[in-house]
Amino acid sequence: MYKAVIIGGSAGSFQVITRILHSLPPTFPLPVLLSLHRLKHVRSGFVEALSIKSGIPVVEPFDKDQIKPGRAYLAPANYHMFIELGNKIALSTEEPVNHSRPSIDLSFVTAAQVYRDKLVGIILSGANRDGAYGLKKVKDLGGLTIVQDPLECQVKTMTEASMKLTKVDHVYSTNEIIKFLQSIK
Amino acid sequence: MNVTDQDLQYFISALKNYTKYDFSDYSDKSLKRRVEKVLADRNLDVTGLITSIKNSQEFAELIVKEITVNTTELFRDPQTWHLLRSRILPRFKNNKNINIWHAGCSTGQEVYSMMILLNEMELFDKAKIFATDLNSDVLDAAKKGQYKYRFNIGYLDNFDKVIKQNPLNYEEFNDVPYDKYFEIDKAKDTITMKKFLTEKPIFRKHDLVKDGNLFFAKFDLILCRNVIIYFNYNLQNNVFELFHSNLYPKGCLLLGMHETILGPWATKFEKIGQAYVKK
Repeated sequence: MYKAVIIGGSAGSFQVITRILHSLPPTFPLPVLLSLHRLKHVRSGFVEALSIKSGIPVVEPFDKDQIKPGRAYLAPANYHMFIELGNKIALSTEEPVNHSRPSIDLSFVTAAQVYRDKLVGIILSGANRDGAYGLKKVKDLGGLTIVQDPLECQVKTMTEASMKLTKVDHVYSTNEIIKFLQSIK
Repeated sequence: MNVTDQDLQYFISALKNYTKYDFSDYSDKSLKRRVEKVLADRNLDVTGLITSIKNSQEFAELIVKEITVNTTELFRDPQTWHLLRSRILPRFKNNKNINIWHAGCSTGQEVYSMMILLNEMELFDKAKIFATDLNSDVLDAAKKGQYKYRFNIGYLDNFDKVIKQNPLNYEEFNDVPYDKYFEIDKAKDTITMKKFLTEKPIFRKHDLVKDGNLFFAKFDLILCRNVIIYFNYNLQNNVFELFHSNLYPKGCLLLGMHETILGPWATKFEKIGQAYVKK
């Protein structure tokens, strides 16, 4: 019933993402879109680091790439990643939004507009408020919204900001997020 | 302010009818976002925007500048510059001239990065540098070659990676001082390129949609990075045709790190790393 999963995270989310990707079976039926902030100087090597333990292939997409199920798409460093009608990725070097490029909000808003009630939006640990508005859009357009339990987050600014702006559907620990994703057929 | 598909069509038609710009073949999603931003920044609605475009050439020109994207930085994507240094530029070292076109050069950081690299490779004197952009304001900034220090301080790290270090040999370190190429004035918050760099390139206003090749030259190397992401498939193909027909045989086209040639022109190039070499 769902068509895509989108995950946003920043400081403290790397290990969570690694665990989530590790838990996904190679037959995972949806694309996983990853909009993650990274340190300015960690521009390369991130996708390789995530790939090592991932159950599904992780790619940094090219502009206008077709989105396929069973793959994770990591927003490339220093680009915004948008989702477009026709299930395509669009990249952009427009100015950072809230000091962030990629902007989690922009990825989430465009994904929500494309997948609407067929989207699962997940916000993880992070040190700023980027993503809160995006998750609200997911909810407004009928998608399912999940935040990592702030008690478990290394940095809880992002999840708390999200919960303040939106009545999220679920507050889950990493294990619960994994269990939920594994239940998607 | 939400811009509908129809609003966007009206906006594109207005520009087409009242200016020399045609945005019909820009990627509509990104164009829509830019228009939404302009409307929000200026507190206008689409009808107001279109009326103002009809009434004033200067306003229309200003809007065109605002909807185009001008991100650039010194030695953006060091891997790309390593590729240029180790595998692309050496191909031209026995040429009499090396003609390089920076298409969509924005405020010029890529142009200066290239000249610095050419100079370190002792190819500077052979090179002829052509640089173009749609936006005359960014060209003025490019000609001036002066940048905010605090916005660019992070990119000095890229300079170190590309110019001082050699990724193929970690023991090699060339301690090239910054002031060989630019003056840093922290009090005035400026980085200013040296005169021998600013006076070399030929900067021209140019529209990739309709202008063809402005220069009476063909090119050994064309850089067009993070420009075609704003174009649709049609316009991308037109631009690839323009580049292909204006490259010398074995000339190279360099796109952005996450751009690729889709469609018929892909077969007319072979790839060296991320660079496209004309067959």
